[in-house]
Amino acid sequence: MSSFHLARALAVLWKDFLDLKKNRGLLYSMAALPIVIVVMPIGVVYAYVSRPDDGNLKVMAQYYDTAVQGSDAVHFLVEKVLNDWFVIYLVMPIFIPILISSHAVAGEKEKRTLEPLLSSPVTPLELVVGKSLASLAPAVAICVMAFVLLCIGVDLVAAPLGQGLILPNGMWLFGVFVIAPLFAFFGNGIAVLISARVGDARTAQQMSGLLVLPLIGLAAGQFGGWLKAGVAYYALIGAFVLVLDIGILLAARRLFDRERLMSRWG
Amino acid sequence: MTGSAAGIRVEGLAKRFGNRTAVEGLSFEVAPGEVFGLLGPNGAGKTTTVRMLTGLLRPSEGRGEVGGVALPLVDDGSALRQRVGLLTEQPGLYDRLSARENLRFFMRLHEVDEKKAFVLANRYLERFGLTGREDEPVGGFSKGMRQKLAIVRTLIHEPQVIFLDEPTSGLDPQSARVVRDAVAELAAEGRTLVLCSHNLAEVERLCTRVAVIKNRLRSVASLTDLRKAGHALEIRVDGPASAWLPTLAALPFAPPSTNEGSVLKVMLTLDAQAPDVVQALVTAGARVHSVVRAARPLEEAYLELVREEDTE
Repeated sequence: MSSFHLARALAVLWKDFLDLKKNRGLLYSMAALPIVIVVMPIGVVYAYVSRPDDGNLKVMAQYYDTAVQGSDAVHFLVEKVLNDWFVIYLVMPIFIPILISSHAVAGEKEKRTLEPLLSSPVTPLELVVGKSLASLAPAVAICVMAFVLLCIGVDLVAAPLGQGLILPNGMWLFGVFVIAPLFAFFGNGIAVLISARVGDARTAQQMSGLLVLPLIGLAAGQFGGWLKAGVAYYALIGAFVLVLDIGILLAARRLFDRERLMSRWG
Repeated sequence: MTGSAAGIRVEGLAKRFGNRTAVEGLSFEVAPGEVFGLLGPNGAGKTTTVRMLTGLLRPSEGRGEVGGVALPLVDDGSALRQRVGLLTEQPGLYDRLSARENLRFFMRLHEVDEKKAFVLANRYLERFGLTGREDEPVGGFSKGMRQKLAIVRTLIHEPQVIFLDEPTSGLDPQSARVVRDAVAELAAEGRTLVLCSHNLAEVERLCTRVAVIKNRLRSVASLTDLRKAGHALEIRVDGPASAWLPTLAALPFAPPSTNEGSVLKVMLTLDAQAPDVVQALVTAGARVHSVVRAARPLEEAYLELVREEDTE
């Protein structure tokens, strides 16, 4: 029977984190996405708030809900854009772990460091845990920081509405602290599994990157008015991803095989 | 077979990938304190053999023991990997990390006392001329420096059984000598060493016994026995020996021959060819002073074993 040594998993985490800290190209790539995801909704909210009397806002609001009165249009649209934007925000907890984890195993194979690593006492499970922590911890931290900046930015530009703090609200808090980690786990798991099978980090990133497509589809459905975002809607998506996460957890243990890695790519 | 608490013994080891047999029929023993050579052409199964012995690949057949741990492994192999050190063909270092960070990572994977391990590592770093470069990113190191650092990494957990794949590859002659001295010292400490190399001169200097494999075991013998197994003659003649090379080449069995001053070195496949060689030289007018049986160079013995395999 194999026993799990936390010290060895932490050694992998330490090494991967150190490597990430020194990988400027990867750090810049990781920084670009949160900037876009934070700045864009702030800009949209600012556009609505800065022209509250624009008649087009009422038309837009009534496209989604015919009951909206003209005076409520700005408030309705601000709330709607923030609710809808969360699905775009979820791209971040998926994509950042993909960027990091693609280097996890595929990067080791590419740099020919895998054989010395696998010839050490570290077990595949310890390797997966160490590498996943090295990817999940920065991803979750970046997501929380981006959320804090989003709250500050939205509340500043929406101050003229005089409605107090718009963010954080219950849906976003639930999303950031419950749904986003589930998505991060999913993105990381898929990237690690794909990395174990392909020869280089770039291919792993490209293949794992396809995961964001369903989110874009959901966003399109929301912006088109076919899907209505809210706590129940995101909770349903979260539950679905939780099931996928459990599947990944089982598959990772079974598929992350020392011999398979060695004979195919070592 | 005898026990081998810190050595290696294998019996009928084989590895297949699907229908392809990478290596089969491996049976040999390596005693503690021995430097054992693993020879074979590219694709002969040396790397597969080492990977089986280090627990990276599961043998398809056979059994054995490495450093007191039974093969095939019954667990995840952590105990085996604690006892073996593997220098891979490629140094496999993390370029963005410094030399010290690379070493620290493997110390942590082996869960050794870092303070103690760094005392040992610093000794090797100094010996290999890497002192003062410990905090530089490895990406800036030369090929030789990377190789030397990889050797240090292989030794930091003081393994009982050490596998070295081309340990002096990319090293200048002085550094290669330092590495060879270190190998000899490790053997003197009672550690078991397996050396995979195409550098036969190095194998001759370091190893006491070798195994020649080409998808299956061709021979396991001491270097002395391997050389004796051939039928080489050293023939001293009057004048430059090169004059008689065409005479030997004209013989029906055309033995491979070299000359050095007035000495001809003739490689025979059968003892019975010796009188024909001497007679041909005398008939051609050579004045033969002496004929002695000579030890073959390892290269000749190795090539012959590998050629035999090709003709089978």
